[in-house]
Amino acid sequence: MKLTLTIAFISLLLSVNAQTTINGNVTDPSGIPIPGANVYLEGTYDGGSTAENGSFSFNSSETGEQTLLISFLSFETYTLVADVATMKDLKIMLREDVNSLGSVVLNAGTFSAGDNSKAAVLSPMDIVTTAGAAGDYIGAFQTLPGTSNVAEDGRLFVRGGEANEANIYIDGLRVFQPFTATTNNIPTRGRFSPFLFKGTNFSTGGYSAEYGDALSSVLSLNTIDEPDQEKTDLSIINVGLGVGNTQKWKKNSISVNAFYLNLKPYQEIISQRVDWIKPYESLSGETVYRHAFKKGLLKVYGGLNYTDFNLIQEDINVAEGVNFALKNRNTYLNTSYKGSLGNDWDIATGTSFANDYNDIKIEDTDVNGEENSFHFKLKLRKRFSNRFKLNFGAEQFVNTFSEKAEVPDFGTFRSTFDNNSTAAFTEANVFFNKKFAMQIGVRGVHNTLLDYTKISPRASLAYKTSPKSQISLAYGDFYQAPQQEILKYDETLEPEKSSHYILNYLYQNDKRTFRAEGYYKSYDDLIKYNTNTPEFNSLYTNEGEGYAAGLDIFWRDNKSIKNLEYWVSYSYLDTKRNYKNFPTKATPNFAAKHNLSLVTKYWIEDWKSLVSGTYNFASGRPYNDPNQSVFQNQKAKAFNSLNFSWAYLLSQQKILYFSVSNVLGFDNVFNYQYASTPNIDGNFARRTIRPNADRFFIVGFFWTISDNKTDNQLDNL
Amino acid sequence: MRAIIILLTFLTIGSINAQSSYEKGMGKAFELWGNKKSDEAINLFERIAKAEKDNWLPYYYAAQIHITTTFGSKDAEAIESRLKKAQDYLNEAKTLSKENAEILIMEALLNTAYVAYKPSEYAMTLSPKVEQLYRKVKVLEPKNPRGILYHAEWKMGSARFFGNDPKAFCPEVEKAILYFENESHDTPFYPQWGKNEVKRVQKNCKG
Repeated sequence: MKLTLTIAFISLLLSVNAQTTINGNVTDPSGIPIPGANVYLEGTYDGGSTAENGSFSFNSSETGEQTLLISFLSFETYTLVADVATMKDLKIMLREDVNSLGSVVLNAGTFSAGDNSKAAVLSPMDIVTTAGAAGDYIGAFQTLPGTSNVAEDGRLFVRGGEANEANIYIDGLRVFQPFTATTNNIPTRGRFSPFLFKGTNFSTGGYSAEYGDALSSVLSLNTIDEPDQEKTDLSIINVGLGVGNTQKWKKNSISVNAFYLNLKPYQEIISQRVDWIKPYESLSGETVYRHAFKKGLLKVYGGLNYTDFNLIQEDINVAEGVNFALKNRNTYLNTSYKGSLGNDWDIATGTSFANDYNDIKIEDTDVNGEENSFHFKLKLRKRFSNRFKLNFGAEQFVNTFSEKAEVPDFGTFRSTFDNNSTAAFTEANVFFNKKFAMQIGVRGVHNTLLDYTKISPRASLAYKTSPKSQISLAYGDFYQAPQQEILKYDETLEPEKSSHYILNYLYQNDKRTFRAEGYYKSYDDLIKYNTNTPEFNSLYTNEGEGYAAGLDIFWRDNKSIKNLEYWVSYSYLDTKRNYKNFPTKATPNFAAKHNLSLVTKYWIEDWKSLVSGTYNFASGRPYNDPNQSVFQNQKAKAFNSLNFSWAYLLSQQKILYFSVSNVLGFDNVFNYQYASTPNIDGNFARRTIRPNADRFFIVGFFWTISDNKTDNQLDNL
Repeated sequence: MRAIIILLTFLTIGSINAQSSYEKGMGKAFELWGNKKSDEAINLFERIAKAEKDNWLPYYYAAQIHITTTFGSKDAEAIESRLKKAQDYLNEAKTLSKENAEILIMEALLNTAYVAYKPSEYAMTLSPKVEQLYRKVKVLEPKNPRGILYHAEWKMGSARFFGNDPKAFCPEVEKAILYFENESHDTPFYPQWGKNEVKRVQKNCKG
């Protein structure tokens, strides 16, 4: 009996310690062995690493069904559930993790600037330390290829498109009036301050089905998720004063900033070509509140802006000039929520609202306009695997516009419209492998004002040609409703349409980036009218059309010269269109054939200084001379500007800043205005449209106050 | 009766075995690390972490090896994938042990590694974060020698960058030395490293 027991125990002991050997081989998809992979039975200590030849072998006392896991950097974790006894001579192929560095990216048409994007060519820092941008968030994008230099306007002109063909989004929601109110030939600026944003996506074409109502471009800005610390920022510059503060508590944070701008003292010292009665004055404030939920993040962004100015505009037809006065009040609210719903479902939703009020006085004519705009968006994303993701969503736009114009001797004119549209979109993102990816989507939109429904397909493909290079393709159809100035007189039109065809080559190698993008863009159904400017009795049609074709080159090198970063952008643009009141197809005034930008940033360690220089060149822009028989066949002279800025770190948190645009004082000409009637000799007289001043100087002092003494505002300059 | 005794003995042996397999595993992992078999050590730490389920230490060490491996490396792809993996490990560790000074110190080192790898891109964005992490460590464990030492080294680096005297932070290093002397923990394998780094940091205090 005793003996039997002992034997029983011994056999029990043996069975407990009985070892099974698990072995096999691990390779990548092309059959090359993977050394150093981690192979183990889940929840046990039993496992090992693969050898140089990819083989592994280890013993385990586990029995029955177990889970074998194999993991390795930049590969997907492999799982095998089976009886331990069968885990012999395994041939295991690991799939590459398509989320890892070195994977192909769908980037045709896009410039990303952000911390996480693999295709990022600019960092958020770059955007704001560019000389000539003068802290304007939009200014820096004008040094990227695909944009045209239209310095008298200040907005983004992309690939032969008008400025209003580009839309701007904050946290996925539309910004309705992204630029400060201004008038002809006084350049505008972005309304928002750069330091609230972290990531940016600038698409010069072929963008995702998520975005609509833009023929040329989408610029999408994301606000900071979580500020690093509490701080106060003070800025004192020669044209204004700014203050900002950030507070953090528990799961919340709030950033507030305000800026007062007054050009009067400046313009009293530096002479201007414009006769200002009341120089530009504006007060703006922004707030971002963030709250982190367990599985998501809520952000509320609010911006207020008040602008006031009064000037005499030169006019060839009016000897004494035209008096123009403007008061603008703009309120913008944006609430967004991003989070996870579990089970690989994500949600992004939000609303934005804008109220824009203009009080304009042109000589004796009074124009009061008010516009209310609302955007709601809901987007869901399901991640089926790393290799297949599906996005879909819907959005609603509500826009009401009303305007009252009082013209002495003629009476009062009122115009109003409600422009509402509903859109739905879906997009699939497929990675066939680490080298080959595709995104395909479709967008449908219905507009109730003009009563149209349009479906637009979007597609892009990317293929990695070598570890450092890739090619990508994009195609898409884009529709955009006519602008406010047309809609207030005609509500029977069709939307304008463009189609983009893009081929992109990207080479990235250790701090050097080369990007070349060729494109062809067709325009259809452009709005035409038979008067000089849109009027209530003009005849409107959709009979306009046009094209734009070109090549954009970008080269960036942060490596060759120590402490020097630079990038070069070159754009070649061939475009013609027949729209507005054009008698024939012609190249519009805003489109220069050649655009070149060179941006340099040099850090001088001994001087604690960041010195930056930007050179912009644009070949002469076309204009129409009514003394000539051919429409729009003249060219203004080429545009040149060399901008310079110098940031000196007085101490870690105090910066002295100096910048000057057009250092060399090039005498630039944008366009000419011709008289509407010929003089006694039968010639049309003209006046030159030039910058308001050849140079612009900024001198500023920036001070950051925080417990943590390392932060400063260098990244805002 | 005897059978019961034998059975009990077996059970005890069994539980002792279980106890020691953690210690054996951790010991083995440290041995691999010591023998410069870093990736095998990481793999073993990861296996232990997955088997233990509620112990943050193996994740912590797996992250540490990834981070220290990137110092001095030039391979951008390797650096980025290692630092990303290290952050994953630290995130796991944080879910198992909240408000843990040691994990925050490691996270500060991880961000320092990013700054060292690409200062032009990361110095401006991550420096405030590193500073914030060390500040939090000082609140949680004012006498943590690693927190004091590495914070001092970090501040010396930025002082040098701005042309100030890094020696201003040497008294902090002295403090760290003192705290290293007094350091003791009951938990096996609790972080106690760093003493050997004092000499390197002290180089800033000479001359």
